[in-house]
Amino acid sequence: MIETGEGGEHPALELFCIEQATSKGTMTIRQKIGRGAAALAMLIALLATPAGAQVLNSGASTITLNAVLSQAITLTLSANAVNFNLTSGSGSNPGSTAITATTAWTLRPNVGSLKVYAFFSNAASALTDGAGNNIPSADFQISNNGGAFAALTNTVPFGGANAGLLLSTTPILGNNKTGTHNDVMNFNINLVPLPALPAGTYTGTLTIQAQAI
Amino acid sequence: MRTGKFLRIAAVVVVMSCAATLASAQLNSGAQTITLNANLTESLTVSLSANAVNFTLAAGTAANPGSTNVTATTTWVLKPGRTAVGVYAYFGSAAAALTDGVGDNIPSSAFFIANNGGASTALTNTVAFGGANGGLQLANVAITGANKNASRTDVMAFNINLTTLPQLPANTYTGTLNIQAQATP
Repeated sequence: MIETGEGGEHPALELFCIEQATSKGTMTIRQKIGRGAAALAMLIALLATPAGAQVLNSGASTITLNAVLSQAITLTLSANAVNFNLTSGSGSNPGSTAITATTAWTLRPNVGSLKVYAFFSNAASALTDGAGNNIPSADFQISNNGGAFAALTNTVPFGGANAGLLLSTTPILGNNKTGTHNDVMNFNINLVPLPALPAGTYTGTLTIQAQAI
Repeated sequence: MRTGKFLRIAAVVVVMSCAATLASAQLNSGAQTITLNANLTESLTVSLSANAVNFTLAAGTAANPGSTNVTATTTWVLKPGRTAVGVYAYFGSAAAALTDGVGDNIPSSAFFIANNGGASTALTNTVAFGGANGGLQLANVAITGANKNASRTDVMAFNINLTTLPQLPANTYTGTLNIQAQATP
């Protein structure tokens, strides 16, 4: 037993004393009191220290963010008119200018492809003089991006039956869900199948439209 | 006769003397003390003026502002040892601040906050909370003797910059932005 004065033992010293006494299998009331005082001192020390040392955090307040990138397909044309000087019975009656169709898109991940179509609303009268004489879509040809001329004789998602042509198909992959595509169209009217077409001014509307599917 | 008168006077004197003695004596109890213990607990709270912000995105564009500003009001009651209060905005993950749930993400580096009219700044810092490189410190308030019990407001305007994400597919992207404060040390 180490005495520190009449007031009792110092807590730290008391712990030492308790260990000594316990090891001998005995513990006095004084030792028990001392052990309690030591424990209390340690508790106070533990409570006092963190208050000054630890940061104080608020709760986390959340803001839910909801951002929508909508699907979009836009198609623009470099020009909106083409003229043809026709020669009766001739297979080659080219348009006055090529037209570039620029298709731009932002698509969802589940879209597989984007297709661009050219079509007339009526296969029998792609162009007409308004007096009953017509140039059918089968005699209107497009060469897309330098490819072969092809007549508009297919049924496509838009326009009249047998009055369309698929210009291009773009597979949509992971790297082009947002993208653009150009179709440069050259035009021709083949009058070989129309040897009896009378002279006149023939007008019509060719429509270019894209579809993602 | 004279003896009797003397005795009466003496008796009166004695009685008055005793009375005077009794009147001047004081008797106090012991002082009983009451220990008073008042605890003002530390507190730090953040409240928001709104909990949702919508964005209408345009592919590849830099300016996609949020539908509304959000004001964060931070209120504190601190112990004397505190020296600063920081307010932070952060995401759980820098790589996927917002996601469409199918692998397409808007990172925190494309998410911007303009606080209290300041410059629009991306959440690219590692702060006290959230994912690495997914945060931004909105404010740092020095705590002095005059503001141990105070509040401040942070008015946040949001923007998503898609110029760095030209291939982001169309979809709905959702995420959670956290606002949290910390008093130090």
